[in-house]
Amino acid sequence: MNVKLQRIVFSLVVLTWAAVLLYFFGSGRIVKYLAPDFRPLVLYGGLGLAVLGLFVLLTAGEKSSCGHDHSEGDPHDHEASDMNPFTSMALMLVPILFAVANTKDSFSLAALSRKSLFDEPLSNNVFLAENLPPLTMADIEKTHKKSEAGFYEFNLMELYFAAGDPEIQKLLNGFKVETEGRLVMEKENNEAGNRRRLYRLFITCCAADARAVPIIIDFGNETPPTIAENAWVKISGTVTFPVERGATQVILQSASCVESEAPWEESFMRNY
Amino acid sequence: MTGEARQDFAFAFLSILFEGAPFILLGTLISGFIDIYMPPGMMDRFLPKNKFLAVLMAGLLGAVFPVCECAVVPVIRRLVKKGLPVSCALTYMLAAPIVNPITALSTWKAFTGPVMMIYGETVQANLVMTVSRMGLGFLVAVLLGWVVASIPMVWVLRKRLVDELKNDMPDHKAGEHGHACCGDDHSGQHSHKHVESSHACCEHDHSHEHIHAHKPDGSQRIVAAMRSAIKDFVDVGVYFSIGIAITALFNTGIAPGAAWLDSIANRQILAPSALMVLAFILSLCSTSDAFIAATLDKFTYGAKLAFLVLGPMLDLKLLFLYQTVLRKKFILWMAVGLFITILLGAYYFQWFLNQQIVP
Repeated sequence: MNVKLQRIVFSLVVLTWAAVLLYFFGSGRIVKYLAPDFRPLVLYGGLGLAVLGLFVLLTAGEKSSCGHDHSEGDPHDHEASDMNPFTSMALMLVPILFAVANTKDSFSLAALSRKSLFDEPLSNNVFLAENLPPLTMADIEKTHKKSEAGFYEFNLMELYFAAGDPEIQKLLNGFKVETEGRLVMEKENNEAGNRRRLYRLFITCCAADARAVPIIIDFGNETPPTIAENAWVKISGTVTFPVERGATQVILQSASCVESEAPWEESFMRNY
Repeated sequence: MTGEARQDFAFAFLSILFEGAPFILLGTLISGFIDIYMPPGMMDRFLPKNKFLAVLMAGLLGAVFPVCECAVVPVIRRLVKKGLPVSCALTYMLAAPIVNPITALSTWKAFTGPVMMIYGETVQANLVMTVSRMGLGFLVAVLLGWVVASIPMVWVLRKRLVDELKNDMPDHKAGEHGHACCGDDHSGQHSHKHVESSHACCEHDHSHEHIHAHKPDGSQRIVAAMRSAIKDFVDVGVYFSIGIAITALFNTGIAPGAAWLDSIANRQILAPSALMVLAFILSLCSTSDAFIAATLDKFTYGAKLAFLVLGPMLDLKLLFLYQTVLRKKFILWMAVGLFITILLGAYYFQWFLNQQIVP
């Protein structure tokens, strides 16, 4: 293939990648995909790719020289590619454009079920528990806001990891808390249909490594409110830690459940 | 593929791509500039004369001359022709994609967050994985280098390459000597004759005549470096795209066999072998493979280490690239040796981690 045409093809491929990176960063959608410390790298990477692509595109016809000799039998070619440039272009552009066209910036429930959404709470998990501060009643009053109705604001991860800590269970059992997350139908132990599951994701680096952090919501004798599956809700109630199916569960006896706006950071992030 | 499956694939695919693409760009820019600006004979000067020490040193050269596994094979071919000992060249070829700052940085970033218990202390997983990856990669490369140092070159290199080397060996014919070894920066267009001049690379005095090429201006070299970088980016990006597409299919449970892969994730013997086969098939770049390994969250750290060490040394695309330098029979034996050594290293690593768990 004409080497100038190859340069133009490669430039277009790189510029397309740059456009995708810069668009997701600029539109703010990147917050759904990456932990905060990776996000600036997408901007720098996008800008770097744009500069590289434009530079090669604008100089595609210019002369260049590497300035060193090549021995006999060593082809003097720093641009010989592994495969046909159009094949490379197809392999690099088809998947990314397909993904951009099909992404909804979230996983379906089917995928989330592979990411611990319906698993039992972990009784011992250094991986995530490390991210939580130690908790005492004094800490709770000092660090958690209390609503007018008398509910302390807890994030879902604090409640979830209480399942693995008997000390905190003693502290929180029967406590009035308010939290937020996405509400889905509970699959197990829900013959009466009065239970739901509330979850958020925890991302270490990128969405592909996300794990669900779920608790059970019990509406008791009340009819659960009609809320779309997977919608964001603010929910308040009394937290309990009964043993069901051989594991300590975190169950919030709901007093109030209303649909809410998604927070800007939908997922919990490492170190944030 | 259903609408939900497309959505899941797209979300996982883009998240890994966003995470890894900046590191590939960094790696290929450095590789492109090394390709153009580093004279081929430069590495010789870093190596001691003792062949065992030289192999050890060659295993660390990636820290100074970082290249990924795709870029290293053509470089090796050139270096061997320029007289670099084959044992050192192969050690550098295997170690450089792992023992280099870009790979260390990406491994560090990819495993940031989780912690491990080592000797009763909480240690960040990124530190353990980065050090273990570089350590095992270095060890395996040096072991192979020492083995190669003790066998005839004709068992290792392609016949054509051996013939070319033999033709070059007896004397340095006028005009065939690489420019890099004389240390001249070749400024301007000139022709000159060295008489009884001493060359660092061949360590003997001789006379020869060679014609120097035009020295390009700075802008021409930058253009060449950027073109080399974009070529490297596309070459690596192709395999990266395919790799993350397959990973995204397994990550979201769309791929057939995803459930089977999950089921063996905690098996001490089978899991590292399965991930090594996956690393071989995915053919990922060492600058970005850690981001994929980190998403295989059901697997043990030992299995992930096996994935991270074997991948840059042996994969499907390298199999083809190696054939431009090495004999097929040697590649086969090298593959078996790498597989067994890395597997043993990963087993030991996982056994060590298991000992740290307090019952």
